[in-house]
Amino acid sequence: MKNSISRRTFLKAATGAAAISAAAPVAAEVHPPGWRGSTRVQQIATNCEMCIWRCGVMAEVADGKLLKLQGNAHHPLTKGKLCARGNAGVALLNDPDRLKYPQIRTGERGEGKFKRVSWDEALDFFANKLQDIKKKYGPEGVALFPHGVHSGFFSTLMKAYGTPNSAEPAYAQCKGPRDVAYLLTFGRPVNSPEPVDLEESKCIVLIGSHIGENVFTSQVAAFSDGLAKGAKLIVVDPRFSTAASKAHYWLPIKPGTDTALLLAWMNVIITEKLYDKEYLDQYAIGFKELEAHVQQYTPEWAESITEIPAAKIRETAHLMADCRPAVALHPGRHVTWYGNDTQRGRAMAILTALLGAYGRKGGIFLPTKIPQGKIPLPPMPESERSRADRVGSVYPLASEEAQGLTQGLIETTLTGNPYPIKAWVVYGQNIFESIPLPQKTHQAIKNLEFMAVVDVLPMEQTRYADIVLPEATYLERYDPPAVVTTAKRPFISVRQPAVAPMYESKPGWWIAKQMAKRLKLEDYFPWTDPQDHLRRLIAPMKLSETELMSLGAVAFDGKPYIEDRTENDGPLFPTQSGKIELLSSVLKDLNLDALPKYEAVEPPPAGMFRFIYGRAPVHSFSRSENNAWLDDIMPENPVWLNSEVAAQLGMHDGQKVVLENQDGVKSSVITLKTTPGIRKDVVFGVHGFGAQSSSLKKAFQHGFSDNALMSRIAVDPLTGGTGMRVNFVRIHAEKG
Amino acid sequence: MIETIPDKPLPLTVEQAETMANRMIKKHHVAIVLLHWFNALTWLLELVTGVGLIVAPALKIAPEWYLAVVGGVFDGRANVLRFHIAVGMVWIVVFAVYGIFGWRHYLKAEVLRNEIGLDKDDIDWLRLRILLILGRTKKSLPPQGSYNAGQKMYALLVYAAIPVIMLTGLIMTFHWFGTFVVGWAMVLHFTAVGMVVSGLMVHVYMGAVFPEEKPAFYSMITGMVNELYAYRHHFKWWREVKQNELAWKEQLRAHESELVAKQCGN
Amino acid sequence: MARYAMVIDQERCVGCHSCAVACRSEWDVPVGFARTRVQQTGVQGTMPECSAVFHVAQCNQCERPSCIPVCPTGATWQEPNGIVRINKELCIGCGSCVAACPYGARYINADKGKADKCDFCSDRLTQGLEPACVATCPGKAKIFGDLEDPKSNVFNLVYREGARRIETAQTAIGPNVFYAGKEEHLKMASIAFPPGRSRTIAAVSVWGAVAKKLVMLAVGATFLGQAVAFFHQLRTGEHQFEE
Repeated sequence: MKNSISRRTFLKAATGAAAISAAAPVAAEVHPPGWRGSTRVQQIATNCEMCIWRCGVMAEVADGKLLKLQGNAHHPLTKGKLCARGNAGVALLNDPDRLKYPQIRTGERGEGKFKRVSWDEALDFFANKLQDIKKKYGPEGVALFPHGVHSGFFSTLMKAYGTPNSAEPAYAQCKGPRDVAYLLTFGRPVNSPEPVDLEESKCIVLIGSHIGENVFTSQVAAFSDGLAKGAKLIVVDPRFSTAASKAHYWLPIKPGTDTALLLAWMNVIITEKLYDKEYLDQYAIGFKELEAHVQQYTPEWAESITEIPAAKIRETAHLMADCRPAVALHPGRHVTWYGNDTQRGRAMAILTALLGAYGRKGGIFLPTKIPQGKIPLPPMPESERSRADRVGSVYPLASEEAQGLTQGLIETTLTGNPYPIKAWVVYGQNIFESIPLPQKTHQAIKNLEFMAVVDVLPMEQTRYADIVLPEATYLERYDPPAVVTTAKRPFISVRQPAVAPMYESKPGWWIAKQMAKRLKLEDYFPWTDPQDHLRRLIAPMKLSETELMSLGAVAFDGKPYIEDRTENDGPLFPTQSGKIELLSSVLKDLNLDALPKYEAVEPPPAGMFRFIYGRAPVHSFSRSENNAWLDDIMPENPVWLNSEVAAQLGMHDGQKVVLENQDGVKSSVITLKTTPGIRKDVVFGVHGFGAQSSSLKKAFQHGFSDNALMSRIAVDPLTGGTGMRVNFVRIHAEKG
Repeated sequence: MIETIPDKPLPLTVEQAETMANRMIKKHHVAIVLLHWFNALTWLLELVTGVGLIVAPALKIAPEWYLAVVGGVFDGRANVLRFHIAVGMVWIVVFAVYGIFGWRHYLKAEVLRNEIGLDKDDIDWLRLRILLILGRTKKSLPPQGSYNAGQKMYALLVYAAIPVIMLTGLIMTFHWFGTFVVGWAMVLHFTAVGMVVSGLMVHVYMGAVFPEEKPAFYSMITGMVNELYAYRHHFKWWREVKQNELAWKEQLRAHESELVAKQCGN
Repeated sequence: MARYAMVIDQERCVGCHSCAVACRSEWDVPVGFARTRVQQTGVQGTMPECSAVFHVAQCNQCERPSCIPVCPTGATWQEPNGIVRINKELCIGCGSCVAACPYGARYINADKGKADKCDFCSDRLTQGLEPACVATCPGKAKIFGDLEDPKSNVFNLVYREGARRIETAQTAIGPNVFYAGKEEHLKMASIAFPPGRSRTIAAVSVWGAVAKKLVMLAVGATFLGQAVAFFHQLRTGEHQFEE
């Protein structure tokens, strides 16, 4: 193992000396202040919005013009690193296809015919329409489809307006089930950024997580550091991902059987007494029940289900146990796969606990709270009617704080049940690409009397809107700061404009405040401007506003591990019992499976493949596909097919194909990528391509839309999460 | 004075020769004279700097010391290039002005035939000229027009090469038509220049060194040649001039008679 | 004097293209061209014994650059610190250097008509900054420093830990971008992305083979011709006028 030893020593030298040597350049500062060559420049600290991680960014500006974006060395999490999308923010700012001025629809929905109007006219129109809907259908007749923390002001606006109906794909189309699973087990959702202690880990386990293609800057840094320090890597994935290419163990699991593997691992660890007994004795309840429960889930049993050899299952279980508690079993991020995802998340949480890794170095670390100022608002109007998306009712574990169920709102819009939803306000959410069953979305829109879209780019939903409002990009606006508790040193990171908004675009906070004025809801926006809002927020943090705005981020001391905590820091595990609930009391009370079971999923019919999807490091799904620089690197998403299977089908690498799913839905023409690195029963494509809006001159019809193939979902009964890996496709060669 | 114009050059008496030697006729328009020297100066500057620009071993012409001197004089080869381009642009502009104002004249068929058209006499002249130098013949050279065949050959070369040099120069300066074309432009530029240089040596020798053509050299300053030279070296042109002179005299006489007749008539 | 070099740690690299985009942003590299490229070998082997590696390539600031001698105007040269530079004011964009580089590290900027390539962010170095790609790489996979400084990481990686050049028997011009990582991955990258051959553009080949000879012949012939004529003139005397 010469390489790993030597890499460790090298890394010590590298991290120990920020200055590499006297003759070589120093890496401590990103830039000497004030100058780039002979041009005087300003360095403006902000954070990125090319994806959701909000890495620290230093914007270099001269004469009001953005020259370049770089990582912000002062950012305690990302430490000056910035990924391809972050660097490409310049191309977003200068995207000629950006929405430039408010528009009101003149043609049919979907036609894309609009007339330009002034902001006053647009906002008056918007406010009047909302009042109309309120009169006719009540405020609940409006549903908000927001995205991101920066939509917080709009969420406040619509809550104040009186509707409980708001949903982001982040919950039911992404991480909802995972957060609920860990909440049930440990008393806390996983949250974002995920508190996985990769750089200190001795064994990293990725189940369906494809770090490397999924690029969150600091996560990649921690991943690379951990591996360089000698961490072992286990990757469970039907596809040979970038992470798999660095793994010591790649387990090409049969899709849908992950819970079986997790249970088998638990079986080995418990029956061979490899668990962290001291930790569990002190912190967990339900061990006896768990022990009895997993007896049946032997590696041999799991082998027949997962197609992973029993010996490998044992080997990897032993490896994890050897490395405990520094085992980073990554909770994953997008977990809405098969409709049983909350229970799979529970299995992952339980396994984490068995290894003693929750709250320990190299495992999952604990969040540290930061005191935030509360901005007192008048009480929100109570609605007599419950949320239309069935949160809390049909889906008992999807809590009110959760971000809602998008598909529930769409269903209600379509059926009018339990009450009519007649207006949508879509704020920065690509409803046609993020939410499955897009055919339903199209149908539902036909029932709308009004649709407003606020966005930066002319995504497809803008073509269906009655009014389109151009939002300024993140580089041109203030947004609420990111207050991150799931970092080993928690921090606050600000967003401030680097340049003035181009064209007639406006920041979201301004739009919300203007609407509040017109809707007589100004009391809900008691701050004068975003800086005032920020000031009130940071008041209890006892830091200098000037310092914060110039550095971009300020960190506080963290208590990431159990040993750092005292009783004054609150309960370690804020569950009902105050302990880690291996057996979930909440699930038990609801008469649901208190311990995760394995449930088989429907296999692909003969001649068909399961369609799975994922990310690419240079794109943030549809958000970045029109970006000139990123489109240059990856203009389309080929579909991955196993080489042997391709040969059997008489297909070759690079040819054109069309996918047809079980419901007869056909994809657009796709380039085939044949590879040995994928299971034979699966095909894979990167999510977010195939834009349908011809106003996106680069993205339009580049690649294929995977969401268009999502005509089937499997809904998780606990949380409402929409499992989307349940669509099967046939591959047809495309002639000509 | 010769009253009748012979068809081919005949021997002259001493008096005839002396008279003709002292009489000047106009050969070159002042515009041509100016252009010629402008061109000569430009070529000098461009050759000196151009050759001083090429340093790649596969392409270079000049020795290291020369490259160093030229680079030193201009304080860096980047300045040499700038100068080379600037002079080249002026050269193109001047020619363009001539072209714009004079294309109707310069591109007339008879003018072109005069300058670059090779007739039978020209071909014979070329053959005999070489044999004469080698001492292999005693025949006299066939009569020539305004420009002899050698001059015509040089003109042909220059007429072909100069547009190439200009265009390729522009292509390289502005990177027109893409890298592939620029690469070829470079090579064509060098080739065309090289060919002209080879002709240039003959041109300069004939003009400045060869004693028989001394009147030709002076004609490029004064615009005039003496009639004897014209008779000997450019007989067919001399004939044309003579015919025009006689025709002009005839017209004058006719006009005078008319006037006298008119006066006497009254 | 420093001798700059870079080491790419293939085990840290996840092929995220951050370096390529940061470079594009820093140096206004037009879309369609690149100073830094991220390539992949693609997945090789048969399931489940698969492997793949990413390969980041850029100008190697070679020990014996093949691009320098072919530049007609001498627009490209090598600094004492090893960095190969291009003087944009002397470059005519003929493409000879692009063809001469066996690693394909150069390109002609179509907007400016000039050759361009990675120069280890020379301008940033003078300001005490790291190259843009090194600064931005999330995986910290690019290591930059002075190969002549025994305390530097690149020195350590190259001389003590076996970071390798990618060369072939035919093309060994001493690239100063080294690759570190598992033997298997280094081998895959060497096989997938070896240097090609240094080429000459067709125009210059034709010049060397034909045109130059033609010109030399013409100039030589006329010169000889003049010499002969001159001697003939001396021999036969001046003939101003016939008697």
